[in-house]
Amino acid sequence: MAKILLIEDDSETADEVAAELMQRGFEVELAANGIEGLDKARSGKPDMMVVDRMLPGIDGLTIVEALRGEQVRTPVLILSALGAVDDRVRGLRMGGDDYLTKPFAIIELVARIEALLRRPIETRETQLRVGPLELDLIERTARRGERQIDLLPREFRLLEYMMQRNDQLLTRAMLLEEVWNYKFVPATNLVDVHMGRLRHKVDGPEDPPMIHNVRGAGFILRAPS
Amino acid sequence: MRLPDFVRTTTFRWTSVAIALSILVFSAFVYWEAGSSMQADMDGSIAEAVVSIAATVPERRIVTIEDRLAADPRRIRLAGLFGADGRRIAGNLREIPPELAIDGRVQATQAVRMDAQAAESMSVRAIGRRLPDGQVLVIARHSGELQELAAAIGRALLLGLPMAGCLSLAIGGLLSFRVQRRVDELHTQVRRIVDAGLRERLPTANLDHPFDKLAIVANGMLDEIEVLVTEMAETGNEIAHDLRTPLTRVRVGLERGRVNAATVADLQSVADRAIAGVDEVLAIITSLLRIREIEHYGDRRGFCDVALAGLMREACDLYAPIAEDKQVSLCADLDDEVIVRCDRDLLQEAVINLVDNAVKFTPAHGEVRLVLTREAGNVVIRISDTGPGIRADDREAVLRRFYRSDKSRQSAGVGLGLNLVAAIVKLHGFRLALSTGPNCVAEIICPMSEA
Repeated sequence: MAKILLIEDDSETADEVAAELMQRGFEVELAANGIEGLDKARSGKPDMMVVDRMLPGIDGLTIVEALRGEQVRTPVLILSALGAVDDRVRGLRMGGDDYLTKPFAIIELVARIEALLRRPIETRETQLRVGPLELDLIERTARRGERQIDLLPREFRLLEYMMQRNDQLLTRAMLLEEVWNYKFVPATNLVDVHMGRLRHKVDGPEDPPMIHNVRGAGFILRAPS
Repeated sequence: MRLPDFVRTTTFRWTSVAIALSILVFSAFVYWEAGSSMQADMDGSIAEAVVSIAATVPERRIVTIEDRLAADPRRIRLAGLFGADGRRIAGNLREIPPELAIDGRVQATQAVRMDAQAAESMSVRAIGRRLPDGQVLVIARHSGELQELAAAIGRALLLGLPMAGCLSLAIGGLLSFRVQRRVDELHTQVRRIVDAGLRERLPTANLDHPFDKLAIVANGMLDEIEVLVTEMAETGNEIAHDLRTPLTRVRVGLERGRVNAATVADLQSVADRAIAGVDEVLAIITSLLRIREIEHYGDRRGFCDVALAGLMREACDLYAPIAEDKQVSLCADLDDEVIVRCDRDLLQEAVINLVDNAVKFTPAHGEVRLVLTREAGNVVIRISDTGPGIRADDREAVLRRFYRSDKSRQSAGVGLGLNLVAAIVKLHGFRLALSTGPNCVAEIICPMSEA
């Protein structure tokens, strides 16, 4: 069971987030200020940390910087009420692995925590395989079982990203950031339309579905059981 | 001890120092001018005497010298006739002054005058001249007059300086007191303006006085500030109104749901609607913050050379499926050579916003066209559609600096989107042009100074 250190000074937010994470089977440790947080990060050996940007005592970014200076490689997700582009860039440069702006949907936070805990291992594999689905990264071809799937380049990119993270909830914001490299979410349901196209090609009429839409949250690619 | 305010002003100090200095300089000038004119007179008169005595026949010389010395009630004349060996023949000089060059020119030197009672050494202006028969004629004049003049001016200065000092203090004091009074007035007036909520203005009398010019500038600034403050207040009201509408809906929905929901499913659907309402509120706040953030972004550190064709092709790629679903054809005519110095992320956001609007408002079988081209020294990013476009009287509202216009936002967030685009374009120093009427054309015009 993964252990998460949550450093957040607003006790109400902290309690809600902690309750949700525990319900999802994580072990959660709380710290209400920067000093306590840094102590627990050093002594408690968490598997990952969620750090608020603005904290009494020591600033969130300073904590991350200090830990990285001590060669602590624990994945860190930074929470911030500041929406500045600059702030995001700084947060990631200081050693944060992901950045989420407040207010956030709790499902978005959970999805990102899981993504950080299960970061895909760098492989030299040129073939990705999830259940009957196969992707050849050299030939740029895809097949499901015997059936050849014709994909546009943008669809190929999307499927590749999802296959590297199968069984994980991928939110719209995550997909826009990672696949399209957009740091903002346009109002229109862009991701849904792209996903609709891809699903139409991946899940044929007779096939059991592999791309699942999680209502109000995002998408999961999962091998049929 | 605390000095009065006006004494501590710079005006006062400088005026006093300037007056005192000018009195000193003036006195020195008077001394120098009077002295040199006096000396010229003196030198003229002894030169004249030398010439006239030298011209008389040798037998008459002694008499002439004695006549000259006798007609000298102030006892300032000196004269002496000496033999070729330096022996004194006549006159009241004890000897030829040792430092005197016998060359017929006026010099300053020391001489000893003697009369019946005593010998007295004194500083003189003197001429020594050797006469044709070998005798030496020395004519001199006591230069004590010059020292007396200096002493007189010194006395005058001694008497005058305290008076001048008082005068300079008085003038400096008066000037700085007047300035101080204006500053105090200004201070009171500014206080009053602040108390009155920026509605009053500084009084201005005649246009030439520096204080009046200052007041005019300050009034201009106050006008600007008042406009901004009013605009901010209005904006605040509008934002509050726009947030209140969805919040009211959420509140009513939750209230009714709490009372009426019979099953968990009912309650969940109430909660879903509430979350959607809150998300709407958050989206408005996020957009507002984002616009403000861009407006205050300030520096151009993130700027680099960007090939815009790639950026616009990505936007097409992103919107292609949506356009297809809507049966809108999305086409691009892009000049691959164009490179513009900009913040890539921000410009991408601007282009996406324009494309988003275009696709959203174009009806089925319409067309959205992205063009990247160079026209008359500018790079033009043009996004045109065959939708209904922007009404002429709405255009200003959509582009206004602050969040405005209910009308423009009724169609799903277009108002803020264009505000955002305008902010990004302004940050880059580019220009945004929007056509009015059907078939909307939006252009981002980037002036190319170099390249």
